[in-house]
Amino acid sequence: MSKSKETPAAKANAPEPSYLTAKSGLMSWLVTVDHKRIGLMYLAATLFFFLVAGLLAIALRTELYTPTQDFMSAATYNKVFTLHGAIMVFLFIIPSVPAALGNFILPLMLGAKDVAFPKLNLLSFYIYCIAAVMLVTTLFLGSLDTGWTFYTPYSKSTGTAVIMATMGAFVAGFSSILTGVNFVVTVHKMRAPGMTWNRMPLMIWAIYATALIQVMATPVLAITLFLLIIERTLNIGIFDPALGGDPVLYQHFFWFYSHPAVYIMILPGFGIISELVTVHSRKHIFGYRAIALSSVAIAVISFIVWGHHMFVSGQSELAGIVFSFLTFAVAVPTAIKVFSWVATLYGGSIRFNTPMWYALVFLWTFTVGGLTGVYLGTLSVDVHLHDTYFVVAHFHYVMVGGTVVAFIGGLFHWWPKMFGRMFNETAGKISALLVFIGFNTTFMTQFFLGHQGMPRRYYAYLPEYEVMHQVSTIGSWILMVGLFTVLGTLLHAIKYGAKAPSNPWGAVSLDWQTASPPIEHNFHDTIHVTGSPYDFPEIDKSGAHH
Amino acid sequence: MSSTSAHDDEERPWFLAHHFDTVGQQVSAAKLGMWLFCCTEVLMFSGLFLAYFIIRTLYPEMVLGASEELNKTAGGVNTIVLLTSSFTMALGVRAAQTNNQKALERNLLITIACAFIFMIVKYFEYTAKIEHGLLPGNWYAAAEHGYMLPKYSRVFFGVYFTMTGLHGVHVLVGIGVLSWIFIRARRREFNSENYVAVENAGLYWHIVDLVWIFLFPLLYLVK
Amino acid sequence: MSLVYLNGKPVDHPHENHHHVSPVWQFTAVFAALVTLTILTYLVSYAGLGSASLPVAMAVAMVKASLVIAFFMHLFYEDRVYAFMFLSCFIFVAIFFTFVLFDMHTSAEMNEEAGIHYKRAVEDSAEQADTNRAFDAPAPAKAGH
Repeated sequence: MSKSKETPAAKANAPEPSYLTAKSGLMSWLVTVDHKRIGLMYLAATLFFFLVAGLLAIALRTELYTPTQDFMSAATYNKVFTLHGAIMVFLFIIPSVPAALGNFILPLMLGAKDVAFPKLNLLSFYIYCIAAVMLVTTLFLGSLDTGWTFYTPYSKSTGTAVIMATMGAFVAGFSSILTGVNFVVTVHKMRAPGMTWNRMPLMIWAIYATALIQVMATPVLAITLFLLIIERTLNIGIFDPALGGDPVLYQHFFWFYSHPAVYIMILPGFGIISELVTVHSRKHIFGYRAIALSSVAIAVISFIVWGHHMFVSGQSELAGIVFSFLTFAVAVPTAIKVFSWVATLYGGSIRFNTPMWYALVFLWTFTVGGLTGVYLGTLSVDVHLHDTYFVVAHFHYVMVGGTVVAFIGGLFHWWPKMFGRMFNETAGKISALLVFIGFNTTFMTQFFLGHQGMPRRYYAYLPEYEVMHQVSTIGSWILMVGLFTVLGTLLHAIKYGAKAPSNPWGAVSLDWQTASPPIEHNFHDTIHVTGSPYDFPEIDKSGAHH
Repeated sequence: MSSTSAHDDEERPWFLAHHFDTVGQQVSAAKLGMWLFCCTEVLMFSGLFLAYFIIRTLYPEMVLGASEELNKTAGGVNTIVLLTSSFTMALGVRAAQTNNQKALERNLLITIACAFIFMIVKYFEYTAKIEHGLLPGNWYAAAEHGYMLPKYSRVFFGVYFTMTGLHGVHVLVGIGVLSWIFIRARRREFNSENYVAVENAGLYWHIVDLVWIFLFPLLYLVK
Repeated sequence: MSLVYLNGKPVDHPHENHHHVSPVWQFTAVFAALVTLTILTYLVSYAGLGSASLPVAMAVAMVKASLVIAFFMHLFYEDRVYAFMFLSCFIFVAIFFTFVLFDMHTSAEMNEEAGIHYKRAVEDSAEQADTNRAFDAPAPAKAGH
C-alpha cells in the first residue's frame, strides 16, 4: 500500500511510461492483465463487429429501396436481418459499453489499480473471441434465418446453422457473466479511501447496476440456448408441440434474459450521459441519489416485465395485463433520469463541444425511443403494432439513438484519456450532425411505416410504402457516412491529434486526476476522496446541493 | 511492481496480489466473486427446474408413470454420497483454517472419492436406461423394450437426462477443481492465513450438492 | 504507520484475517440432520399424502438446502453482503417461476373457457403414430389440469 508522495525530483527523473508503451510487442497485449489494454482490445473487437453488422444493415435498407426484389432473395434477406441482429446484440451492443469503455474507466474512476480479477478479465475477452469465431463460422455453415430471437418451432426445424449460432451466443453469455462478476466485486471492494457509495460517479452506479443484471439474467439465457440445442439435436420435446412441448415456454425463457439484456445495453449509456452533462456544463448533477437509485431500480424492475414481448404469442391475457402494468413502472425511473439531466443542464455553463452535442442528441433520440416503448407496452395498442416497423423504430431509437450515441459521446469524452490525444472538434461536430440527421431520417419514418401497417422482417412490400422506405434508406446512408466520420476522426486523433493534458475537460472525478494516457498502475499515489465527483471548482457552494 | 511507490513497512505476504492493498480486501473480493458465481449456477439450474414443473403440470400422470422407471435406490445412494462429500468438504475447509495439513488432504481425498462414487453409480444408472431404451428424444425406444409407458414419456426422460446430465457435468468439473486444490494443498500453499481457494472450491461443491438435494425428490420420488 | 483503508474506511490490522471457525460437532450434527431428512423424504413419498406430497417434499428439501447453505457454506456466520447477494438471486428465481407458471395456468383456463384446444398432441409422422399405437396408454394427459 503506498504511503507519502515520492519527491518531485525522483518523479521527474524517472517518468513512468504510459500503459500503451510500458510493455511492447504483440505478446504483451495478448497476455496482458491490464484492464486498460483489455478494454482497448474489446473496443477494437466490438467496433469491428459493429462495422460488420452495420454493413449488413445497409444491405438490408438498400434492398428495401424498391417494393420488390432487387438483389436479395427472401431466404437471403432472412439471413441478413438475422445476422444483423445476432451480431449487433451479442457481439457489439451487450459487450461494448461495459467491457470496452467500462473496463477502461471503472478502476480509474474508483481510484483502483485494476479490476478485482484481472486474469478473469482477460479470460472474459478470450471467451468473447471464441464466441465471435463461432458466430462468424455460422456464416459458412449455412447462415441463420430464424431472427436473432431463435423462436421455436422454426429454429428447431430450419436447416440453417442454428446450433453453431446458439453456441456462439451461449459462449458470449459466459463472457458477459464473468465481466459482470468482476465489476460487482470491483465496485464493492476496491474503491479509493473516502469514496463512499454516495461519492461514486454515476457512471459507476450505472455499470454496477448493469453488472448485477449480467450476473442474474445471463445464466437463464445459457440454459435456454442449451435446451434449444438439445431440442434441435435430440428432439427432447420440450418446445415442440408435436412432441408434447410448448413453444410459448421458449419465449418465456428467452425473454426472461433478453428483456433485462436490453437494460444491460442502455444502463451504461445512462452512466455516460450523467458524466457528459455534468462535466460539459460545469454543474453538479441534479438529483444524484435519484439517478443512482433509479439505476438499481431499473435493474430490478427489468426482471418483471418480459411478457410485453409476448402479448400476441398465446400468453394469457391476464398475464399480459400484469406485464403491461409493470412495464409502465419501469418507465418511471428512466424518466426520472431524463428530467434530472435536463435540470442539470439548466443554468449550467454549457460547452458545446462534441461530447455535449452527442449528449444532446441522446436526450432527443432516447426520449423518443423511451416514450414509444410505453406505447408498445400498452397491451391494446401493441396488438396492432406488434411485429410492425413501429417496434423496429422503437428499439433502434433506444439502442442506436440511445446506446450508440451515448457510446460515441463517451468515446469522444474519454479519448484524450485513453490515447493522450485531442480529436478534431470540427470533424467531431460534423459527425454528430450527420448521425443526428441520418438517424432520425432513417427511423422516424419507420414509426409512420409501422403505424400504417408495414410488417417487420419483410423483404418486399406493398407499393404504398415505397416513398417512406426510400426516405428511410437515404437516411441510413447518411447515418453510415456520419458513423464513418466518427471512426475517421477518432483514428486520426490517435496519430495526429494534439497532445492532451491530463484533464482537458476540467473534471473532478478520479479518472481525470491521473496522466493521459494513464501509467500502467493508474495512479502514482493513493488519492483520498473527500467530496462529490461533481463539485466543480467554480460552483458556488453556498447554494443548496449535496 | 518495480515502478510503483514504496510499499508499507509491513511485509506483503507472497499470496497478496499487486492490485489489492490488504489480505482482507483480497479474501473478501474472492469470496464475493464466488458467491456471485454461485448465484449464476442457481439461476441456470432454475431454468431446468421450471421446465420440469411445466412438464409435471401439463402431464401429471405421465410424470408419475415414467418416473417409476427410475432407480430410487441409486438415487438415494447418490444423495447420501453427495451429502457425505459436502460434510467432508466443510471439514476440509475447516482443516485449512486451523492449519491442519493432514486433515485437509484427507478430507479433500474423501470428497473426491465420493464424487467418483457418484459418477460410478450414475454410470450404472445410465447404462441400465440405455439397455432398456429409456432415453431422451430420438433415442427413446421404450416400446421396443417392452415398457408400456404413457404417451410423451420421452419428454420426461428428456428432462431427466438433461437435468442429471448437466448436474453430472458439474460433478466432473468439481472433481477437476478439487483435484487441483488437492495438488496445491500438497504443495503446502494453504494455511490459516491463506485458504480462500479451498473455501471457494467448497462453495462450488456445496452448490453441486444443493442442486441434487432438489433433483432427487423431484425426479425419483414423484408421488 | 500509515493508515490502510478497506471499502473507504480505515482498518486497524490490515494483514490479519480472522474468521469464525465452526466446531467439528456442528458439522457432524448438520450431517446427521441431513441424512435424517433424506430418510424423511423417502417416507413422505411413500406416505400416500396425495397432492400434498409435492409441497411437503419441497419443504423438506428447502430445510436441507438451508442447512447446507447456512452451515456447510458458512453463510450464517459470514458478512451479510454474501447472504444478501445469494438470497436475492432466489428472489429472481421466484419471479421467473411465478410469472411463467401463472401464465401457463391462466392460459390453460382461458383456453378451456373459450373452447380453444391446444394441439399439443399433433402427430406429424407415421412412425410416431405407430409407436403410440403399440402401447395405447389409457387416459392420455390433457393440456392444463
